Amino acid sequence: MLTGSRQTSISTALATATCTLLGSAAPSVVIAEEEPKWDFNTSLLYYGEDKSRVRDLSLKAIVRRLFTDDRVFSFGLTLDSLTGATPSGAIRQDVAQTFTRPSGNAEYTVPAGSLPLDDTFLDTRLAITAAWQQPYGESSQFSVGFSGSKEYDYLHLGLNGSFAKDFNKRNTTLSTGISIARDEFDPVGGAPLPFTAMLAVGDTSNRGGSDDKDVLDIVAGVSQVISRNLVVQANYSYSSEKGYLNNPYKFLSVVDGISGDTIIGTAGTSHVLRFENRPDERTKHSLYTQAKYNRGGKVLDVSYRYMSDDWDIDSHTVELRYRVPFGQDKYYEPHLRWYTQNEAEFYSLSLLEGAALPLYASNDYRLGDFDALTAGLKFGWTTRNNSAMSIRVEWYRQVGSIPGEQIIGNQAERDNYPDLNALIVQLSYRFKK
Amino acid sequence: MGSPCEVLSEAKTEAAADEITSVAASEAWRIEDKFSRYRADNVVDRINSAEGACVEVDEETARLLDFAVRLHSLSNGMFDITSGILRRVWTFDGGSLVPSEEEVRQVLGGVGWHKARWDRPVLQLQAGVEIDFGGIGKEYAVDRAVMQLREMTDTPCLVNFGGDLAVTGPPRHRPAWSIGIDGSGLGNADNVIKLSDGALATSGDSRRFIEKDGIRYSHVLDPHTGWPVRDAAASITVAADTCTQAGMLSTLAMLRGGGAEAFLSEQNEQYWCRR
Repeated sequence: MLTGSRQTSISTALATATCTLLGSAAPSVVIAEEEPKWDFNTSLLYYGEDKSRVRDLSLKAIVRRLFTDDRVFSFGLTLDSLTGATPSGAIRQDVAQTFTRPSGNAEYTVPAGSLPLDDTFLDTRLAITAAWQQPYGESSQFSVGFSGSKEYDYLHLGLNGSFAKDFNKRNTTLSTGISIARDEFDPVGGAPLPFTAMLAVGDTSNRGGSDDKDVLDIVAGVSQVISRNLVVQANYSYSSEKGYLNNPYKFLSVVDGISGDTIIGTAGTSHVLRFENRPDERTKHSLYTQAKYNRGGKVLDVSYRYMSDDWDIDSHTVELRYRVPFGQDKYYEPHLRWYTQNEAEFYSLSLLEGAALPLYASNDYRLGDFDALTAGLKFGWTTRNNSAMSIRVEWYRQVGSIPGEQIIGNQAERDNYPDLNALIVQLSYRFKK
Repeated sequence: MGSPCEVLSEAKTEAAADEITSVAASEAWRIEDKFSRYRADNVVDRINSAEGACVEVDEETARLLDFAVRLHSLSNGMFDITSGILRRVWTFDGGSLVPSEEEVRQVLGGVGWHKARWDRPVLQLQAGVEIDFGGIGKEYAVDRAVMQLREMTDTPCLVNFGGDLAVTGPPRHRPAWSIGIDGSGLGNADNVIKLSDGALATSGDSRRFIEKDGIRYSHVLDPHTGWPVRDAAASITVAADTCTQAGMLSTLAMLRGGGAEAFLSEQNEQYWCRR
């Protein structure tokens, strides 16, 4: 170790010599560190609906490689594990109902008075994203990206690109983006032909094969720094979906025009059911506005979104976040979100026996008339070595209603759109290296 | 200083920024005028043209000479302020002109601190020997400028003389200054270093070399042989309390050729080496 101590002494001797040269000791100790090159963002999300409905455990990681001159490559990986059951579209009855499973190979029974749920809702989803982002010239930047995801019965592949330009000493930013995607469905047992009746176990005569849809999204926006404390932004987005837009696992009950009860089946299932049918195009327009206000380190974030589509759904979302720092490196952030939408033009609780079939019909509760409220609290803290942790707990409540004119006879006595409550817990960990 | 010099300050007014810049600039010019070997009538010129006579130097020059002597001994003679005349036969312009052994031997006759007699405040060089503070001057000027700015103002400043730099402290609204290290000389930063306090200095210039018969000669010369140091790094950046320390550590590391990283690691220094 003789060499070691002699070597180290060069640094010490140099410090002494420098002190003599400059006529004073170094007034400060160097504090230097290399800018991190890697940014890891990981999270674990639990989403659980009450009454044994959907449960999702989602593990997500985004890795960003930071190059100099603001060039960034990012790669994301998400693994979702979905379990539970989801409403099938059939309505409650005072007697037990039997249904053929989507596979066509078995049947299941829903007790009298219960909401028919499809309990085969179980899937694992793997999604990846990759993107490259870099400045373009003095005041612009662009990004190009890829997205892909795979579930048992679903494949998504997409490409996206965006461009942003700063004006007005970087106080104004105009941005635009486009994404295209192709989604392929290969439903369990084959996609049922629209409006065909649910058949008995083993009968696959109404099943088609796989199907697909094309999705185009375009967004254009502006963000503006109003003052040191206030930033506002507005985005318009256009979305077009074409192709197979049905949910192959959803169907409707065919009911008696007076009693509202589902017609008893004569072959196969206990009651008469028909698979849903949606238009093969959907165009959405939405407008999003947001303001962020910083007052002494506390940040208020308010946003509003209006969406309107050609399925006649209009929705409004108001969201509020308030981030309050406290202690050395901690913050808490209450969150409130209110959402409302009216039902799609073809939303239908049930189909009428004997009447001509409508052009389209679906009893997917997500196309119904509902309000939803999310309330939550996030708590975050920074640890040493550039890492940040947070925990977010939120409660979600959805309350829907069926348009009065759609309710027939005995249906009025049943809860046709049960409330939905969900708990959301998210743990996030971010670190840089 | 032979390179672009800049001062970044977070002054609140243009007048304050001007004052800060002019203080740093005057100190840079003072040191340049006094110690540049390219100027006539300065102390270096008097020493180098003394033809073997004794020259009495002022306090500041004496301190620089003391410092050079200390470095000479710490580096086992590898750091030598008399080695500048080797540049007469070595021109590192990316070309292929390698001097002959005879040419090197001739000029090497004038190299070596043992040919000087330093008896503070009197310096006597053998005739034909010259000194050059080029290896110290820039870093010394940065530290001197920063010292003056620290005394003068609380305004956060960064003084950068040709890539050797020091700060007076962290910027006001950010934890650190972001400094890109362009080791390749191509205009992009290889690394970005966040500097809150202290200094950074870089040795090496990957554009300065000679290449002949497949051999690449670095511009770092060994004063013992008169030939380039083998396996020298393309560039070495060191972080230290003062720019002088950072600069000397990067120079000493450079002189160790292939052993640069090992040397700096042993010294427990923060460094970034590009090969």
